[in-house]
Amino acid sequence: MAETAARPTTTRSTATRPLVWEEKWTLDKIVASVDDPQHQKIRLLQMAQNEYGFLRDEHMRYLADSIGTSYTDLYGIATFYAQFNLHPPGRHHISVCVGTGCHVKGSKGLMQKLRETLGIKEDETTKDHRFSMKSVRCLGCCGLAPLIMIDKETFGRVKPTHLEGILEKFE
Amino acid sequence: MTVKTKLDLNEMARIGMNSLESSKPQIVFGLGTCGIAAGGNKLVDFTREYTGYWQETGIQPEIVTVGCIGMCHAEPLVDIKLPGKPRVTYHNVTTARMKRIIDEHLIEGRPVKEFALGQLSEDLSVCEHGKLSYTWHYDEIPNLKELPFLARQVRIVLRNCGVINPESIEQYIARGGYRSAQKILVDLKPQGVIDEVKKSGLRGRGGAGFSTGQKWQFARNAPGDHKYVICNADEGDPGAYMDRAVLESDPHSVIEGMIIGGYAIGASVGVLYVRAEYPLAIKRLEKAILQAREFNILGQNILDSDFSFDLRIMEGAGAFVCGEETALIASIEGKRGEPKPRPPFPANSGLFGKPTNVNNVETWANIPMVFEKGARWFNSLGTERSKATKVFSLVGKIERAGLVEIPMGTKMKDIIYEIGGGMQNGRAFKAVQSGGPSGGCIPAEYLDVPVDYENLRELGSIVGSGGMVAMDEDTCMVDIARYFLEFCVEESCGQCTPCRMGTRRMLEILERICQGGGKMSDIALLERLSVQIRDGSLCALGGTAPNPVLTTLKYFRHEYEQHILNKKCPSSTCASLFLTPCQDTCPAGTNVPGQMQLVAEGRYGEAYEMQRQDNPFPAICGRVCDHPCEKRCQRNLMDQPLSVMMIHRFCSDKVYAGKAGYHPELASLDTTGKKVAIVGGGVAGLTAAFFLKRLGHDVTIFEAQSELGGMLMWGIPPYRLPRDILRWEIQQIIDLGVHVRLNTAVGRDVPFEDVLQKFDSVFLGVGAQNDLPMNLPNEDKPGVLNGMKLLRKMNLGEKVDLGKRILVIGGGNVSVDVARTAHRMGCEKVIIAYRREEIDMPAYPEEISEAKKEGIEFYFLLAPEKILVEKGRATGVVFRKMKMDEFTKWGRRKPVPVEYETVTIMADQIVTAIGQQIDTEFAGEMAEQFMDHRQRIAVDPYSMETSHPRVFAGGDAVLGPATVIEAVSHGKNAARRMDRKLMGEDRLERLQGLTQFEYGMNPPDNEDPLPRADMLTIPARERANNFQEVVMCLDDQCAVREAKRCLRCDIREDD
Repeated sequence: MAETAARPTTTRSTATRPLVWEEKWTLDKIVASVDDPQHQKIRLLQMAQNEYGFLRDEHMRYLADSIGTSYTDLYGIATFYAQFNLHPPGRHHISVCVGTGCHVKGSKGLMQKLRETLGIKEDETTKDHRFSMKSVRCLGCCGLAPLIMIDKETFGRVKPTHLEGILEKFE
Repeated sequence: MTVKTKLDLNEMARIGMNSLESSKPQIVFGLGTCGIAAGGNKLVDFTREYTGYWQETGIQPEIVTVGCIGMCHAEPLVDIKLPGKPRVTYHNVTTARMKRIIDEHLIEGRPVKEFALGQLSEDLSVCEHGKLSYTWHYDEIPNLKELPFLARQVRIVLRNCGVINPESIEQYIARGGYRSAQKILVDLKPQGVIDEVKKSGLRGRGGAGFSTGQKWQFARNAPGDHKYVICNADEGDPGAYMDRAVLESDPHSVIEGMIIGGYAIGASVGVLYVRAEYPLAIKRLEKAILQAREFNILGQNILDSDFSFDLRIMEGAGAFVCGEETALIASIEGKRGEPKPRPPFPANSGLFGKPTNVNNVETWANIPMVFEKGARWFNSLGTERSKATKVFSLVGKIERAGLVEIPMGTKMKDIIYEIGGGMQNGRAFKAVQSGGPSGGCIPAEYLDVPVDYENLRELGSIVGSGGMVAMDEDTCMVDIARYFLEFCVEESCGQCTPCRMGTRRMLEILERICQGGGKMSDIALLERLSVQIRDGSLCALGGTAPNPVLTTLKYFRHEYEQHILNKKCPSSTCASLFLTPCQDTCPAGTNVPGQMQLVAEGRYGEAYEMQRQDNPFPAICGRVCDHPCEKRCQRNLMDQPLSVMMIHRFCSDKVYAGKAGYHPELASLDTTGKKVAIVGGGVAGLTAAFFLKRLGHDVTIFEAQSELGGMLMWGIPPYRLPRDILRWEIQQIIDLGVHVRLNTAVGRDVPFEDVLQKFDSVFLGVGAQNDLPMNLPNEDKPGVLNGMKLLRKMNLGEKVDLGKRILVIGGGNVSVDVARTAHRMGCEKVIIAYRREEIDMPAYPEEISEAKKEGIEFYFLLAPEKILVEKGRATGVVFRKMKMDEFTKWGRRKPVPVEYETVTIMADQIVTAIGQQIDTEFAGEMAEQFMDHRQRIAVDPYSMETSHPRVFAGGDAVLGPATVIEAVSHGKNAARRMDRKLMGEDRLERLQGLTQFEYGMNPPDNEDPLPRADMLTIPARERANNFQEVVMCLDDQCAVREAKRCLRCDIREDD
C-alpha cells in the first residue's frame, strides 16, 4: 500500500495554490486541539483528512510549518500508513476486504467485477467522482466473508452478481 | 456516584443485574461490527417501528444492544428475554422472521422453535458473579451450552461478549467487573500482583507467547518514575478479529486489566493503540473510558486507593508492522511505524524513552479473571506450558465460522469438525492456516495435534493472534503463499533490505509459478531466500514472512510441482493455469463447456467427437463415471450442478443410433515406425492405445482374457453398462488399426522379457482384480466367494448358484454391483453389511439409492468377526456392532467396536468385497522391480515412468481400485509421455490441433435458477430377473435445455 502511494505524483493535484483563510483557520484549529502536536502528527493528519477527504500538499506544508517540522516528515508519515489518501476520493468510498477469510471466499472475483463495472483500479476514482475504491486488509468480519464496505455501510456474503444492486444505492 | 468502597460496587452490580434481569420483556440485538454488517441495525429499526403498532397491548419491550457472542455463521442474532425466563437466541433473523418472533414469542410467550438456536439456560462463561442460569426451561429448545459450537468452549476472555451491553458499566460490574482491580489495590503489593500473574502461567496472546508476568517484572524493575502500559489493539492479522470483538463487546475488561497492569509495574498512564479500521471499537472504548472516569475507576486515586491511573486512545493509521511493539511505540510517538533493534527493550526504554509494557487486548482481558478465579485455577487449564484458553477466529470455508474460546491443547480436528462443523458444501478439507502472514498452513495429517504454542511452532506455524482459516480443495496453496507474500511486500516497512527486496523477489517467483512460467529450480531458490529473509530482518514481520511459503512447500510441494511440471492449478485458482473448474477437475480434461455449447446448438455428433479428443469412452463415461466435474460446477452456488454425465450419455446414444448428424473423424499423425506394447486391455490400456495409435505408432494390446475391456467388461454389470455400447466404443479404437492379442497373458503365455525386447516402449495397465482377503478363519470354505471373481463369472454369463439369501460384505461399488446382480439373478433376499455408516460408503450414491429401490437391505456399523461353518459349509457371519467415535483428521468419524454386542446374519452365500489388489503374474520375477510397498506398480506421477526407462504404467495397477475417468487420464498421460520419449518432443497438442471445433462463445443471457435434468430410471419392479439398462437417456428437449444451463465459465472477459 505504502508503495503505490509513494509513486511520483504526476497525477496529484496541480501546482500549489495559496490557502484561503478558511483552510488556515481550520488547520490552526486542528493544531490547537491537540496537546503535544510534535508527538501527535498522525492525529493531525487524520483530522486534516477527515476535514477534506484527503491530504492536500499545501495542507501538509502548512501543518508542517505550524508545528515546526518539515513537509518531508509529514509526507513520509502520510505515505507510510494505508489510511491516508493523497488523491481526492469519490463521493462514495468502496473498501474491498482482501483479508485471508475473504481471499479464500472469493474477494478476487468481487474486485474484478468492481474493476469492470466502475472502470477503475484500486486507489483510483471514477471520472464522475461517484466512487473511489481501495482494498483493505481485513475488516474483522471474517464470519461474513467476502465483504465490502461502502462509506460506513458494510455488506457481507457478497457475490459478484450482487454488486450492481449494491452500487445503485449510492448516488 | 463515585465508586469508593466495595459496597458501592455492590450497589452498581445490583443496578446492572436489574437491567440484565429486567422486569420488562427485552429484545436483545447482537450488534458488533459483524452483526451490523449482517443487517442488525435494520432489524432494530424494523423492531422499533413494528413495536410501535401494538403499544396498546401494554407490552413495552426494552430494546437492548449487546456485543458479539461469536457465532458469526448465524448472524444476525436476536434474543428474546421474558422476565424470569432464559433468553432464547434466534439465528439468521430477517424482518419477516422478526415479525413472527415478536408476535409469537414476545407477545404470546410461545418461542418460534424453527428459528431458535437455543436458550441461555446455563451461563456460558466461567464468571463467579451475575451468572445467568435458570431452572425453568422452554420445551424443545436446546440449551445454548449444549450446541456443538459452544459445548467445548471455556469462556474467560469472551465471558461477557454477547451477554452484557458493552455500553453499560453497571452490567460489567454485575458480572464481577472491577472487583479484581479493587481487591488487588487493597490487598496486594505490586510485586504480589506480578507474582500472581507469573504463577498463573499466562503468556502473551498477541503472537509471540512470552510470559506476561516476566514481561511485567522487567518493566517494574526498570528504573524511572514515569512508566507506561500499552494495549496493542492494532489487530492487523487478516483473518483474526477477536480483539475487535472484545473491544466492542466488553471494553471494560480491557480497561480493568490495564489498571491492574499499571498498578503492578508502576505506570500511571495507559495508551490503547486501536486500528482505525475499527471505528465501533473506538467508539465503545471511548464511552467506557468516560464511564470509568465518571465513577472514579480511572483518574486520581482510583477506587479510593492512592493509585492514580488514566487511559487514552491512539487511533492507528493502518500499518501491519505496527503490531510489532517497537513500531507501535514509534507510531504512538507520531512517527513512521518502523521497528527498532532490541535491546533496549521497551521495558527499559519504550514510549518517549520511558519503561513501557505492551500487551495485547486478549492478554489484558484475561488479567481480571486471573484474580477473580485465582492463579491456581487459571494454571490448571490448558497444557503443561500453554495455560488457560485461547480465542480463535475460525473462518474460511468452514460450516460454522466464528469466535471460539477453547482450552489450550484442544485438538485441531475437534476445532474444525466438532466446533466448526467441517467444511462448507461437503467439500474436502485441505489445510488450516493459523497465525496469519507469520504463520503457516497445516495439512490434514497433523489435525491430531493439540493446539498450543509449542506444537504449532514445531509444525512451522504459530498460534499468533489466533486466526484459523480453513481451506478446502478449491483453495490453491501456491496462491495462498503468494497471497501472504504480497501482504508482506506491501506491509514491509522497508528498513531491512532482505525483507524489503527479498519478499519482493519471492513474490515474483511465486507469481511466475502461478502463471505457468515456473521452473523446478525455483523451489530451491524460494527456500534459500526464505532463510536469508528470516535471518536478515530486524523484526518479526520479516523474520516470519517466509513461513507461509515454507510450510506450503513442506506440506503441499505436490501442488507446486503441479503448477511447474503439469502447468495446471488443480484448485482452479491461478487464472493462467486453469480453464474451468469442471475441465480442471476432470482427470481427462474433458472440455465440458464446449460440449454443452455444441449440444445447445444441436450439433450432437460434433459434441461426441470433441469429447473423444480427450477421452475415447464418452458413452461409457456417460454411464459409469463418478463425475467429479459436477461437484465443482459453478451452478452449485446458484441452484444445482449441471448434469454433465447425462449429456455425455445423450450425445453418445445419438451417435450410436446414427441420429447425431455430422460428425468429423478425428485426425491422426503420420506413421512413425515405432512399436508399442500395451499389457492389459482395460480402460487405461485402451486409452493409451487410442492416443498412441493416433500419434502414429504401431500398437499391440496383450489381453489375458477372451475379450477386451477389463473391469468395464468383468466388473460392471450390464444393467449399468450395456455390452453392445461397451463393445462399440472399444471397436472404434481397434478400428484405428490397433493389433490385439486376446487370451495372451504376459508373464504366462509370453515372457515379459520378450515383450521388452520386441517393442520400443511398453505400457502396463494390468489392473487390480484380485480380491483382498478379510483374514478371517474359514474364509476359504464353500459358501464364501470373492466379489470380483463372482462378478466376473456373472458377467460372463456363467451359471452361479447363489441360493436364496445372499450376504455381501463391503461398501464399495463391487459390493453393490454384486448385490444388484444377485437380485437380478433371482436371489430373494440380498443384504449388504458395511462397517461404517451409509455416508461413508465408497460406492456411488446413485447406485446405493437404486439398490435400495430394488429392495436390497443395508446394514451399517457391522464389522465381520467370525464366519460360521456347518458341515463344512459357511452358513453365516457374526458381526461386531460398531459405533462412530471421534473424528479422525480426515473429517470422518472412526468406527470402534461396541463391547458385548454382536449381530449374526445367516445366508446361503457370503460374498466378500472389501477391496482389490494387483495380480503380479505379468512380470514374473521382474515384478519385484516394479512394485512399491503397497503392492502396486510404482511410477513417477508426472511422467508415468516406472523404474525401467522404457516401461510406463497406469490405471488400477498404480492407483489401486480407481475410477474409470482416472484410468482414462492415466492412459492419456502415459501415451503423451511415451510418445515424447520415443519422438523427443511433445506431440499431443499437435495431434489435438488437427481436429478443430468451432462453437459459439456467448455467455448465457438467462442466469435464473433452473432445475437440473436429473437421471430417469426404469421402475424398480421391472428390474428383477433381467439385465436391462436402468438409467434412461434424456430426450432432445431436456438435453438442450440442460446444456443451456451451462454458465460458460470458459468465456473470459478479455477474450
